[in-house]
Amino acid sequence: MRCRVMALAGLLLPLAVPQLLAAQPTPATAARLEGDWVRIDPDGAGSFGGLGASIPPAQLLPGATAAAGRGGGGRGGGRGGRGGPPVAESTSPNPEGVPYIVVAQPCAGGLGGRSNGALLVNPDSGGVHFIEHKDEVIFAGERGGVRHFYLDGRQHPTPWTPTPAGHSIAKYEGNALVVETVGFTAGAVPGGGVRTPETRLVERYEVSADGKRLTITYTWDDPKLYQKPHVYRYYFDRSPMLESAGTRVSYALEEWCDAGDPIEKQSIVPPKQTIK
Amino acid sequence: MKRLCACLVGVATLVAMPMAIPGEPAAPKRQEEEPARRRDISGFWELNFDGRNVPRANLLPTVTRAKIDARAKADAYAIRWCNLLGLPFVMDPGRPLDIRQGSSAVIIVGENASAPRYLYTNRTKHISDEIFDPSTNGDSIAHWEADTLIVDTVGFHGEHGITAIPGGGFRTDKSRLVERYRLLKDGALLSVTFTWTDPTVYRTPHTYEFRYHRLPSTYEPRQWLPCDPWDEDRGKFLEPPAVAKPAGRPISKGVTP
Repeated sequence: MRCRVMALAGLLLPLAVPQLLAAQPTPATAARLEGDWVRIDPDGAGSFGGLGASIPPAQLLPGATAAAGRGGGGRGGGRGGRGGPPVAESTSPNPEGVPYIVVAQPCAGGLGGRSNGALLVNPDSGGVHFIEHKDEVIFAGERGGVRHFYLDGRQHPTPWTPTPAGHSIAKYEGNALVVETVGFTAGAVPGGGVRTPETRLVERYEVSADGKRLTITYTWDDPKLYQKPHVYRYYFDRSPMLESAGTRVSYALEEWCDAGDPIEKQSIVPPKQTIK
Repeated sequence: MKRLCACLVGVATLVAMPMAIPGEPAAPKRQEEEPARRRDISGFWELNFDGRNVPRANLLPTVTRAKIDARAKADAYAIRWCNLLGLPFVMDPGRPLDIRQGSSAVIIVGENASAPRYLYTNRTKHISDEIFDPSTNGDSIAHWEADTLIVDTVGFHGEHGITAIPGGGFRTDKSRLVERYRLLKDGALLSVTFTWTDPTVYRTPHTYEFRYHRLPSTYEPRQWLPCDPWDEDRGKFLEPPAVAKPAGRPISKGVTP
């Protein structure tokens, strides 16, 4: 009798397998991460600095900043992007036709957008794009940088030369893409945090059920630096769709920045002043 | 008895499993997988020294030596100032390419500081030129014909980036590129045939082929190499040589100066 029941169960099991698999969300059935996204300002902070200020402050251990070899993380964690140090501000207005020079070295490499995908660890207002493949998710930004999230079961390589974006491996947990990154160069983290090559960042990329909102939850953890894991979230919406030849489209833009063009250093040019 | 019972259950499970999934009998599934595999060009790809078959382009007479020299100078500027480099350079950047095929696009990522390419498979029309800002990579749309991925690209910027095209000529805002991607040798090679047309540069369409070798799937791409336009030493290194053409140098027979 017992054997018959087990045999029956064995025969019925395969019938149930597709249903069981269907119940387990996979990237194929879940709202997809793939596509174009822009970071939003859900609390109305109004500026990039304001967005950074809304991040809960990191709870660092004494001496953590020195251990990271930096002067501490700024509240916003740095902007990167077109990069370069600002120039000293003038105290008097420029004459007519004389442009304000606001960036000394535009389009700079360093930790800015055009190197190593560092900007995508702390994305700014530039569009970002995901391509999902079974072995790898590629995360690319319009203001520069590419991150590779490996899904093929590889481990973090050792030895590894630290880089601004570190080395990332990933897996899907239900609808969420969970990315673990180590091997960063030492430096600042948003919310006043710091990092070293040993610091571990776990990011959870979760798309809302309607597919319109992406939430990235960042968890920086390092028992040598943090009293407790440093957690905060960024929010993104799908890129706005544009009308093109009767259809609505969204696509990746190229952000052009020519360091050799003097205009890249400039802000406004004071026009002729008319006094009435 | 118990052992026999367990064995029966196992056999029953194995026998029933393939039949139980509706519409996916074992043998046809294997047949379906084959074209699917040939239609995925994802992987790490390397262009070796012997991977280029590039004939000389048939240029229009209006493409003068002066125009070609001016373009070469502009290309050197793009390298010097870490500009986005664009097509066709990004397909031969001196480092392996990471190509990943998603559900809406194929992305091609290099290891240099240049924008990735997106080959959109989710639309059949180019972005209207009323809203598309010309770019170094242009606007690419792609579709499969049998086991070949056909990619059509327009919307190029006429001056930004490295514009030199292998075999002669250069990219302009009138250029159109059609590429054909096909796996060869059981997926070990990726053949890409490039065909450039441009009424301001070419007398006839200019076609050449690159063959990329597949790297092991465990390959670790080097993250974007830093390119700092403000590195003084780098700037000096990339300045054009100040040495003038030597006067009175004898010209060998058969050599065009």
